[in-house]
Amino acid sequence: MIRIEYQTQRLSLRFFLLMLVLFFFQAGFGLLLTAQHIDPTLLAGTLNFNVARAEHTNLGILWVLSGFIGAILFVGPLLSKRELAAPGLIKFLFYALLAVVAWNVATQWLAQQGNAGWWLGQPMLQEGLEYLEGGRITDVVIFVGFAILCYVLLRTFPRVSNWNEIHWGLGIGVVALTLVWVFGMFFVERLDLQEYFRWYVVHYWVEGVWEVIHISLVGFLLVLMFGASIKSVGYAVFWGIAFVWLSGLLGNAHHYFWIGTPEFWQFWGSLFSALEPLPLIFCFWHIYLDAHQDRKPIGNVPAFAFLLGSVVLEQVGAGILGFTMTFALTNVWSHGTWVTLSHAHLALFGTFGMLGLAAAYYAVPLMRGVVQQFDQRLGKLAFWLVFTGMLGLGFAFAIGGTVQVFVYRTLGLDWFGGDVAPAMQFAKLMVPAFGLVFMIGVCLLVYDLLTLGLRAKATIDGPAAAPAPTGWGRRLYGWETGLWLLAMWVFGAIITLGLLSFNLHSVQGGHRLFPYLMAGIGYPGLLLTTLLFVGRFLRSLEARCHAAAAQAVLPAGLQAASG
Amino acid sequence: MSCAPGEPCEEGRTRRRALAVLGLMGVIFVALSTVSFLDSRGQAVPAAVSYAGFDAVQGKRVFQAYNCMGCHTIVGNGAYFGPDLTGIYGKVGPAWLEAFLPSAGAWPTSGAVALQLRNEAIATASGVHSIDDYLAKYPAAAERIERRGGHASSMPNLPLSHAEIGQLIAFLEYTSKMNTEGWPPTPRVNGLAYSRAAPMAAAASTLVPASTPAAAAPTAAAPETAGARGAQIALETGCTACHARDTGRLVGPGWGGLYGAEVALADGSKIRADDAYLTQSIVDPDARIVAGYAPHLMPSYAGMLDDEEVAALVAYIRSLGGEHP
Repeated sequence: MIRIEYQTQRLSLRFFLLMLVLFFFQAGFGLLLTAQHIDPTLLAGTLNFNVARAEHTNLGILWVLSGFIGAILFVGPLLSKRELAAPGLIKFLFYALLAVVAWNVATQWLAQQGNAGWWLGQPMLQEGLEYLEGGRITDVVIFVGFAILCYVLLRTFPRVSNWNEIHWGLGIGVVALTLVWVFGMFFVERLDLQEYFRWYVVHYWVEGVWEVIHISLVGFLLVLMFGASIKSVGYAVFWGIAFVWLSGLLGNAHHYFWIGTPEFWQFWGSLFSALEPLPLIFCFWHIYLDAHQDRKPIGNVPAFAFLLGSVVLEQVGAGILGFTMTFALTNVWSHGTWVTLSHAHLALFGTFGMLGLAAAYYAVPLMRGVVQQFDQRLGKLAFWLVFTGMLGLGFAFAIGGTVQVFVYRTLGLDWFGGDVAPAMQFAKLMVPAFGLVFMIGVCLLVYDLLTLGLRAKATIDGPAAAPAPTGWGRRLYGWETGLWLLAMWVFGAIITLGLLSFNLHSVQGGHRLFPYLMAGIGYPGLLLTTLLFVGRFLRSLEARCHAAAAQAVLPAGLQAASG
Repeated sequence: MSCAPGEPCEEGRTRRRALAVLGLMGVIFVALSTVSFLDSRGQAVPAAVSYAGFDAVQGKRVFQAYNCMGCHTIVGNGAYFGPDLTGIYGKVGPAWLEAFLPSAGAWPTSGAVALQLRNEAIATASGVHSIDDYLAKYPAAAERIERRGGHASSMPNLPLSHAEIGQLIAFLEYTSKMNTEGWPPTPRVNGLAYSRAAPMAAAASTLVPASTPAAAAPTAAAPETAGARGAQIALETGCTACHARDTGRLVGPGWGGLYGAEVALADGSKIRADDAYLTQSIVDPDARIVAGYAPHLMPSYAGMLDDEEVAALVAYIRSLGGEHP
């Protein structure tokens, strides 16, 4: 696709731009949090840590949603072969989203005064529950927003009898997005019951709904970028979603190990959530297959880089790091520590954030009319900064978490200011270091996408600048991809053993060498392998331009022979 | 993969089977969930817990209103910036929490905890009446007092009211009664004795007997002036957790320049902060509330400090400046 076919697709632009602005502020709040971790008195009383963190988590959710909406609005007409229904409602949705973002950012601050706005037994202004900090007013507006999205998408789609798997995935996705949200809209007296329902929203959203939308969108973007066949992608979409639900429905039990629910959840959670990486491996494999289906040069490298980053970080952050702490015997140690942060950051930003960015990189140049020739250097640089920064953050959190488990759980030193924080100091310094790399990437990314097609055109890399298809840029075969994947899982196994080793008698007796060693090998090994693999994958794809340029000058007979 | 035209296609049947299995899993999930919250399980519920007349359900509302989970964790979920709060009530006891929460910016001294134990409801909830028994029963409270009592904490002061503090403690009593299936794991070693574990120099080596009330104060020779003695009492008793030595407001008004100044009261009248007013504010703080402060925020020190000690405190406040009447 080289130009916009349906004018209502342009409505997605504002959601992509809003996503970028919110992303910038969310990353900014993240940096502030790292500074407050190092100096807890920073802004204490003015902008307390819990308020800054609520902004960080909420903006994170809101910009991902904004990216989803943008992507859905962009592909909706293409999937339906007609304009979006009710464009007026979409404009209303945008302003409602703006209003709810501003309202929510403002009301979070009330936590410092202990003002939740209790009315009719419900916290109207803010409710102090992790990820669901918004008050009931926010909740209701967001619910209405989701309902509008459902209405628009389902009215735009063709008749149900004509739906393919991508229609089903997106249709079920947006409806479930709306329904599951309702479970977060009640004040629950019992802590165990409240946490039980809170994970409905958090886990089933991420694992059961966002993942479904993610798979469908990745599938369709692959169709758009590589001309993959709808039928083959549809097969992947169906089984991807089926596996996600088959493992994730009972896999949610891994949140019910220690919240006051019965012991039997440990069995169900350990068993089924260990299967949760399966659909992710499946998707990972499919992006390899589909990206290699046609061997044409890749036109929009940043868009594909973010798409690849999304699927790979889903594999690494959600799949492997999630797997390491999903067993009751490892989770009993990792639960409530920084170990979970490395999983959360890689999985949430990686999977869902990068998908929104990929969609934006695909769609914005089209809408700005610069698809043929746009300067991709800034986008590629931003991708590498953001990708490296996030892997580094995952590393810093994981190392800090390992130290925290030992000091806090094994030694039982529960005084944070005096015992735990000083022991974690090195990791606490690494976080802002990688955070800065990430933030520079974010700034570049936001600048690039906001001004794409509006700023003066730079000279464009010709095919000659593409890497040679030898060495690091040679063709990536399936067996090599399999080896990379295997290496990642080997390091994942090492991490798992490290967490398991906290159960050992000697470790509990105060010997920290083994878990530290395993973490010291496992995490850097996993994250470096990930970095190198993505480098290898992208380079081999970019080298196709080189091959194409070379082939253009070859005599026809030679070309046939080499093909 | 997908079916080629003309071949028998198994894909549709396979997909229907997968959906059937999914339905079965949904049934299992609903069944497990139902069993999880039956009364017969004996899990603690907040409606059945109250502390000193305060309701644990109200406490949960306070816990959410201040977004405690945004810094701490509860049953392991939350923000990992401060410690997990699930079992804190059982570890440090209600009197320590009563002393800590109003002025969270500083760690309570044993004097501050002892003062709380003079309240019959708190002592009953604690199960002990003397500070020595308390520290023996709640070693985690003793450890906090010994290592940091009187020093600044990393937590900001929150505008918690008297009732909110009681409700919050009721909620924490409820969570510490919860059965969390063995989480967090019980440490098998004494971390404080672990050679490489004490990043804070003040740990293990400087531990003093728990019953010494001046644990946190520098034990110097007997102070000669009344003002110096008052300064030491202020530290031991925990006054400085709420009152700054300058004019700044921590939880209560700062002491700097207070003596002899005109103070606006909540009832609209004004009074000069002389010896009589300051003495009354220490032994009967609710008699005259300063404008902008809530009643019942400050506990009474009557019976805790004798006349001579109160006079020394007043002398100390006088020494921090202000006009003489």
